[in-house]
Amino acid sequence: MPISKSSVENVIFATSAYGDRWAGPDGDRLTIALQLLQSETASTIQIDSFVESLEYTPSTAVSSIIESTTDWKVDSDGQYHLIASNSSFIVALTKDEHISQWPDLSLGKMIDEDHKNSIHGAWKKEVAGVSQGAYVSQSQHRLAMPSRLGLHAQEDASTIVWPPRQLNAEGERIAPASNKLDNRASILTWTRLSAAGAPSEFSLRAPLLGGVSTVLVEFSSGPKGVFMLADDEDGQASIGQEVSFEVRRLYGQDELIHYGLKALLI
Amino acid sequence: MVDVAMVGAGQTKFGNHPLGLKGMWSEAIEKAFSSVDNDCLPSMVDEAFIGSIAFGGSQLGNTAALLTEHSGMDGVSVRRVENACASSGFALRDAWMTIKSGQADIVVAGGIEKMNDLSAERKRYWLGVSGDTEWERLAGLTFPGTYALTARRYFHEFESTHDDLVHVSVKNHMHGFDNEVAHLRKDVSFEKASSGAMVADPLTLYDCCPTSDGASAVILVADHLAHQFTDTPIWVKGSGAGSDKLALHDRPSLTQLRATQLASQKAYSIANIQPNQIDLAEVHDCFTIAEVLATEDLGFAGRGEGGRFARDGQGRRNEGDVTINASGGLKSKGHPLGATGTGQAVEVFKQLRHQVESPRQVRDAEVGLTHNVGGSGATCAVHIFGRER
Repeated sequence: MPISKSSVENVIFATSAYGDRWAGPDGDRLTIALQLLQSETASTIQIDSFVESLEYTPSTAVSSIIESTTDWKVDSDGQYHLIASNSSFIVALTKDEHISQWPDLSLGKMIDEDHKNSIHGAWKKEVAGVSQGAYVSQSQHRLAMPSRLGLHAQEDASTIVWPPRQLNAEGERIAPASNKLDNRASILTWTRLSAAGAPSEFSLRAPLLGGVSTVLVEFSSGPKGVFMLADDEDGQASIGQEVSFEVRRLYGQDELIHYGLKALLI
Repeated sequence: MVDVAMVGAGQTKFGNHPLGLKGMWSEAIEKAFSSVDNDCLPSMVDEAFIGSIAFGGSQLGNTAALLTEHSGMDGVSVRRVENACASSGFALRDAWMTIKSGQADIVVAGGIEKMNDLSAERKRYWLGVSGDTEWERLAGLTFPGTYALTARRYFHEFESTHDDLVHVSVKNHMHGFDNEVAHLRKDVSFEKASSGAMVADPLTLYDCCPTSDGASAVILVADHLAHQFTDTPIWVKGSGAGSDKLALHDRPSLTQLRATQLASQKAYSIANIQPNQIDLAEVHDCFTIAEVLATEDLGFAGRGEGGRFARDGQGRRNEGDVTINASGGLKSKGHPLGATGTGQAVEVFKQLRHQVESPRQVRDAEVGLTHNVGGSGATCAVHIFGRER
């Protein structure tokens, strides 16, 4: 779902497609910010006040998430400031340190308030939960972040490798990521899990969303991957269909929010 | 090289079992030893291999020592074997290799899982811990989802539809109906199996095996001891195992299990047996599409013909060249993860000794096969058994 952008006196404001009152079922100020940064020419950026505006703590540093997902560099003396409103879901990109007046950007996709509140409550409960089974360690999340968020890929004997791998069949260590996959891929197969069939990480939100859709896709350079489908209320996947990718919230656990790429039907 | 014989086999009923780990395991051991024709005691065992995922985190450490302690095998060299749903298939292979290598003469292989006394929330956490948790689970997949991806791709690549999977479900329920140790003993019509609640599109409830409690165990001995214990040993003629990428998306083909192909090639080669010589096969039908793939990967059907194989009823008991899942398979007999592999061997042991109650007995069964898969195909163990050495 594309963000909505507007410019006022050298400040670029962005909201989700729902306007300034909601970031969507798996969005937040950070996911809006990432799309905003991706849509602008990369430079250096300061994020101190932005980090404080986030509702939950990300599982890895915001600076790493930004640098893994975009070409922007986080710098305490950066040229730009990333700022978010604490009272609405507006994110701003500006050369000034403060926003004197936040605009009214309430127009957007219609919001079902009950649905929105249910989703909000589910996230709150989910984040407070503790893993009892399929725990993915913080270091694993951190190390794989450039691949998970930015589609950074390795190369081994002219073959593009993604997700990341360690040793090849000759016992040699595969060099760190040097390629980036396209932000588009083609669906090889897909499924929609009922709420009861979804992993426990999604057990609170899946019933509210009517299940969880997953696509297995192939990138033009060869690698395949599985991604949860986002914003698919009005469409259904099909084999051969193209998707693009956006960073969204994946799940919350142990007081942290984990982010990852989700697929969007084109 | 030493030959290996199976001289005893036993299991609990699979399903919602009233007993806990110690009780279920001791029941399986009791049945296995009492099935040996001449005296064989737990205290005579040299080595034991017990497959389990320790579902729910129950006795996650030193599982095997606890179980042997409570089943008369105190002091035996024992360990837990974990390869997801193929845990006891690999326990069986380890036991076979131990005797083959001459390191032991009497070995127990078994498996156990307690899945149904967990809270719904804990059960949800533990289902799917054997997939690629970092890349698959976080994309919303548990095993119903992974196999659903495979099924949809299979329908796309070959002339097959969901009806073919319904045929698998109906057959396995029919086979399991008369099996007194089966979890789901109900005859299911084609119409009913066609209209199950959707679990992971295109797989419905009738495409999915149940989560079961259960334990199973077999007793293997070296050839020189076989006739000391019984006049009708069942010989483990071949054992093979293989592995593959953990995640479905990392594999070249979405509609074949390389681990099964590797395992079965090794087992057939060691046994010097061809697929068309197998009379009955207990295959890993955790989902109906898995049985379709297994019939191809094990060589009973050609590539892309597994759907038609099911449609034509070729795996039905005593109707085709090979009976597939005479026990009811995972679909009907049940799937207590760690206990499934040796549970398959228990069925083959009884079938090849012609000790199965009517009408379940496969006619003139001489050679049997077990096929035990871990996860969506990351690991696989295949064994071939025969009445003849």
